[in-house]
Amino acid sequence: MHVTRRGFLQLVSGGSASLALTAALGAQQANTGAANVPMDEARYLPVRLPPRSSQPSMTNLQRDALEHRIHCQCGCNLDVFTCRTTDFSCQVSPAMHKDVMALVAGGYDAQDIINAFTKVYGPRVLMEPPRRGFNLAGYFTPFVVLLAGIALVVVLIRRWHRPVEMDAGVRQLPVDASPDELERLQRLVRHDDS
Amino acid sequence: MILIGELSLWVALLMAAWATTAGFAGAFTERQELIASARRALYAMCGFVIMAAAGLWTALLTSDFSFRFVASETSRNLPSVYKFTAFWGGQDGSLLFWALILSCYTAIAVRTGRKSNRELMPFVVPTLSAIALFFLLTICFGANPYSRLDFIPLDGRGLNPQLQNPGMALHPPNLYLGYIATAIPFAYAVGALITRRLDNEWLTSVRRWVLVSWLFNTVGIILGMWWAYVELGWGGYWAWDPVENASFLPWLINTAFLHSIMVQEKRGMLKKWNVTLVVSAFLAAILGTFITRSGVISSVHAFAQSSVGYWFLGFLLLSIAVTAALVSTRLRDLKATAELESMVSREASFLFNNLLLVGIAFSVLWGTLFPILSEAVRGTKITVGPPFFNQVNVPLGLLLLLLTGIGPLIAWRRASTANLKRQFTGPVVAGVVALALLLALGMRDVYALIAYTLGAFVLMTILQEFRKGVEARHRMYGEGRAVALLHLVARNRRRYGGYIVHVGIVVLFAAFAGLAFKEEFDVSLKGGEQYAAVDPYGHQWRFVSQGVSRYDELNRHTTAVLLEAFRDGKRMGVIKTEKRQYVDSRGVPSFEPSTEVGIMSGLRQDVYVVLAGVSGEDTAEMRITFNPLVWWVWYGGMIMALGGLIVMWPQAERRRRQAGYEAVLEPAGTSAT
Repeated sequence: MHVTRRGFLQLVSGGSASLALTAALGAQQANTGAANVPMDEARYLPVRLPPRSSQPSMTNLQRDALEHRIHCQCGCNLDVFTCRTTDFSCQVSPAMHKDVMALVAGGYDAQDIINAFTKVYGPRVLMEPPRRGFNLAGYFTPFVVLLAGIALVVVLIRRWHRPVEMDAGVRQLPVDASPDELERLQRLVRHDDS
Repeated sequence: MILIGELSLWVALLMAAWATTAGFAGAFTERQELIASARRALYAMCGFVIMAAAGLWTALLTSDFSFRFVASETSRNLPSVYKFTAFWGGQDGSLLFWALILSCYTAIAVRTGRKSNRELMPFVVPTLSAIALFFLLTICFGANPYSRLDFIPLDGRGLNPQLQNPGMALHPPNLYLGYIATAIPFAYAVGALITRRLDNEWLTSVRRWVLVSWLFNTVGIILGMWWAYVELGWGGYWAWDPVENASFLPWLINTAFLHSIMVQEKRGMLKKWNVTLVVSAFLAAILGTFITRSGVISSVHAFAQSSVGYWFLGFLLLSIAVTAALVSTRLRDLKATAELESMVSREASFLFNNLLLVGIAFSVLWGTLFPILSEAVRGTKITVGPPFFNQVNVPLGLLLLLLTGIGPLIAWRRASTANLKRQFTGPVVAGVVALALLLALGMRDVYALIAYTLGAFVLMTILQEFRKGVEARHRMYGEGRAVALLHLVARNRRRYGGYIVHVGIVVLFAAFAGLAFKEEFDVSLKGGEQYAAVDPYGHQWRFVSQGVSRYDELNRHTTAVLLEAFRDGKRMGVIKTEKRQYVDSRGVPSFEPSTEVGIMSGLRQDVYVVLAGVSGEDTAEMRITFNPLVWWVWYGGMIMALGGLIVMWPQAERRRRQAGYEAVLEPAGTSAT
């Protein structure tokens, strides 16, 4: 049963009190749906193209996979397939699904459909940014930073690892230990890995 | 009690202000009476915050709807347990909950550290008080849960249905306990930087608190994953949502610190790095809070948009400026006392481990903020969803898994070829055998193959370490192997607890790799109709709808569908999935309908059914998903928590020495083992 916000508020507090409550609780009254974020159903924009063929371009499973690449615009952060199969209170993902179905039935392949959605909504309709232009910075920066970090560590290790020259004034003291004892000490040092 | 609570909040604010002012004044002028006064004010602040929290709980449990917070988060018919948990269900109450945990932590840290950290404590007290002051200011002037309505409604709005779940009763407190514990090491770092006492001593106290933070953060994240999985209904447990990412950042940084601190303790190196990590973990926690509460990024987990975000942004920038200034003026004091001798050493492997952990933290932060950056630079809105994060982080995560196996086995200072050969032959063979077996079984997913191969490698390294230790005890003390294992872990909790954490990590990676084989189906069924599907293991499943039923429960109208499930012709049970419409005490719908997922769980896979809705009279629209190895996530989390607990458990100094922290040389002539 769907109850409008106005109706809900009138029932809850009645008369003038409802107005005050609206103001007080305004931030939490939005239609939030399963994803707990305000849903803006006006965000749906039709994506339609004239049919290219009478044969559907893909199977239902392939269509579902394609819908995983398209971002539902209701504000939920989910893809179209997941949103529409999770929450029927969202009106945006079923509408977008209908557009996908129509394009599939019209013979458009996955890339055509992605392009058509991108043309209407812009790149925000894709679950990941297209790999071109400024977006490449998004993809490569973490790896560049990591490589720079590795290079820095290697340089630091090399700098730290300079052979230490013994001071000319310092004479090496004779060690009062047998080779076996020395070996055992070295073993202990190596195994000291707590 | 409610009135006392309300007043206590303001008194706590005054106490925090005094503790900060007197504390810093006393610390800088070395006036003991001011230092002592600040400490007492801090304890008093803790007491008043506890009373403020008790007052709010009283208001919630007695449904005092004169308070805006109570009216907006609860209703008369809300079960008492959720009236209690509603405390952290909304912005205002959750901030008071923050302040409550922070105050308690602060009092405990000051009480337990007053003798062991005499020099630092005069600065730790006002730093912690300043953090508490910020929170109390935000609460009193930005999001006061005691603010009143101009009228008293007959009933409240009720708690968001998604928060009416045991996961949400436990997940936020654990996450908060983890987040807020980062404040204590931060305060110690500030104290150490101001006093220039940057030796290893302050790290002992800090490490304990970082462990507290890490443990609660781990449990909180896993519980959050569980809640998302069973409650949200989208079929997964991690969506790289901005708020999920925000909780992950302090965890990654704390994990890096818990490794790099060993290098400082052992070799006196990485001092600058460790201070930076301690400070960064706290800043990441504040950044996460800013993201969650500002509305700057939309999220499944976020609170409603509010001006509180600006308070946090200001505090974050101030904290960054102060700590950057402190660190930059103390660089000389943070000079290492030893040098790294070889790339093939434990120090080097920990360095690379840190680099990867911080690299992953950076990539997560980068991906989270990239949409804002893109819009600012190009004016184009983009979405950065799970595919992006997986592409960037999966390779880094696998490299980290590899280092999980290498790090603990490689020798300090410099590993010899013999050492490498002795330690790694078995694990490499285990990895190769696992790979061959999986290929023979027909697995072709590259990332999954790498994950399971590395998992086998790491597991073997850990088993090898346990076996060596147990055998040594068995030979030396004649203990049975089970007893030897218990003693081994008990005598060196830090080392073997760490290994148990690594086992948990391997189990988690195995579970994540299982996602590659997830199968999902979009299904419409009338009563009596059936649907056939094949799971990732090749089993034939049949689901028969028992029809749609509608009934009323305590505070909701429920629409449910029962599916009878058969696997290869054998009846496996019934799965129930629901759509719930929550109502207030007069039957008025209070929220949009929510989903209750039906899950048939097993060790190998979950059958996950979501009722999206009912079309017509009785046609159930559902999504059926086969989710392989999901339970391994929960087991992995439990193993990690167990390992963390073992590491944290206090160990007497005498035992620590026996466990090998101080090697005792035997006289010449006796055999060494």
